[in-house]
Amino acid sequence: MSFLLPVAHALVARKDLPVPAWLFAWAASIVLIVSFFALSVGWRTPRFEQDRWRPLAGGLWRVLISLPAQIVYGLVSVFLLGFAIYAGLNGTEAPDRNFSLTFLYVTVWLGFPVLSVFLGDVFRAFNPWRAVGRAFGGAFTALAGQRPTHLRYPEWLGRWPAAIGLLAVVWLEIVYGASGGVAVGLEPHAVGLAALFYSIYTLAMMALFGVEQWCRTGEIFSVYFGMFSRLGCFAVENGRLGVRRALAGATTWATVPGSAAVVIASIASTSFDGAQDGAFKNALETTFNHLVDAGIGLTSAFRLTDTIFMLLTFAGVALVYLIGVRGMAGVPGAPSFAKLRSGFAHTLIPIAFAYLVAHYFSLFVFQEQAQFTYLLSDPLGTGTTNLFGTASSGIDFHALSANAIWYVQVGSLVIGHVIGLTLAHDRATAYWGDYRQASRSQYWMLAVMVAFTCFGLYLLSVANG
Amino acid sequence: MNSNAVRAVLGAGVVIVAVVLLIVLSNDNSDGSGNTTKGVTTIVIKHGKPVGGIAQLTYDKDEEVRFKVDSDVSDEVHMHGYDIAKDVEAGGSVSFAFPATIEGVFEAELEGRKEQILELTVNP
Repeated sequence: MSFLLPVAHALVARKDLPVPAWLFAWAASIVLIVSFFALSVGWRTPRFEQDRWRPLAGGLWRVLISLPAQIVYGLVSVFLLGFAIYAGLNGTEAPDRNFSLTFLYVTVWLGFPVLSVFLGDVFRAFNPWRAVGRAFGGAFTALAGQRPTHLRYPEWLGRWPAAIGLLAVVWLEIVYGASGGVAVGLEPHAVGLAALFYSIYTLAMMALFGVEQWCRTGEIFSVYFGMFSRLGCFAVENGRLGVRRALAGATTWATVPGSAAVVIASIASTSFDGAQDGAFKNALETTFNHLVDAGIGLTSAFRLTDTIFMLLTFAGVALVYLIGVRGMAGVPGAPSFAKLRSGFAHTLIPIAFAYLVAHYFSLFVFQEQAQFTYLLSDPLGTGTTNLFGTASSGIDFHALSANAIWYVQVGSLVIGHVIGLTLAHDRATAYWGDYRQASRSQYWMLAVMVAFTCFGLYLLSVANG
Repeated sequence: MNSNAVRAVLGAGVVIVAVVLLIVLSNDNSDGSGNTTKGVTTIVIKHGKPVGGIAQLTYDKDEEVRFKVDSDVSDEVHMHGYDIAKDVEAGGSVSFAFPATIEGVFEAELEGRKEQILELTVNP
């Protein structure tokens, strides 16, 4: 028995062309040459271990993060979340015509990583659950005359809830959402329900462990977007906005347990999404048919197949990283395996960001046109409202040529690769006092980075379906 | 061998790998050009599904895309991306002809059934 797998692409009516072979070859060659060159010109003392943060002078910066401004950000974010849930539950079931899916999965999920890298941790200001949590905390303190008490957050748990949650968010979209066997993906109603349940869960966890503690380690979006903000130079410290050396913020990110799992989950989920229509297609179909032959229903077999492969991708990415760490541990003078494992996790953040840009750049550009035209004017997709007079506008697919998309895809992977190598080399010079041993350890991380970058290029070059 | 010599050997190795990769892959003309669809393709719909699976059409940019849908069910044929929609009656047929102005991979569906019938590839 043989079935064609339903193709999963929730929103955009256009898929990218595979990167042509000549561009793949050039990019892979450049990656190899740049990597080797990097080994021979490395600096000998760490440059990014201190972030050299300094506050920005000027009233505007203070106003931007003042309490009244924070209240405004909070109100805006709570309204937008509430509206997205409302649109999901009450709007049309056509995913591409309902505000909720594009807003949550494209504008927020793909937009905030970009905003975070360039502007700092803006999601912290626009986190609706943090706003509600703080408001409740403030009200409790005022009424009870004492600050709320919380359970101690188990240190070993670290960022694991966020890592698992990150996989769950992506699973909902590309595994659960695609299971209907139709060419459109996740139903807006399911997104609305998921957002509602996640809100309840998050507020409950905040009540248990405290708002800030949960945002640091457990709240998926805070942890995920916060991770990308570590690459950039804007940061708030002690209630003041300031600038630091770019990339330096990343060096202290992975000190919390489970951090490596977060960045690996990010790379793995993007890889799986990119591979399911291309590189993994045959393997997925074979597994799916085996499961169906074993008597499992079509929808369950589909979900099970995708879930297995998503977890395998996570395991594969983790394995490549751990082999690199294991190799480094064998270099004389190396710190413990555990220290190396968390000590180099931040070097994968640029790779994760590059994967995001490479896989979702065109989708983001096209779908944001929908977000700011018909989805804004007719958010429920009923065809009866036209709030801003743009309900009948559509997506202009001429906005990006195939060549422009290819260069952005390949360029982002190469740049991410170089930044990842830079961070890894810098960390090695901090861990190994001896420059030669530091360089030797970096043969291993170089192999890891080349593997991820070439795998990323390979995913882009395989025809989609 | 001292470490500089090791690096020189490794470096030479990497460059050779890179050059070989470049030459091999550059000669492998797999970018799809020269394989474009000619004439009018007919997609036959039986019981609401495309006979022989999802039709694959490939064009270079600005060529004329031409296909016909013969259907035994009444539905709307929607060419996504180009956003062209035409109704088809049960037992009837409908023809499409338009210039391939947008690069990318697109699908045409029986809109009411959400059944994909065509994958259109437009290369630059």
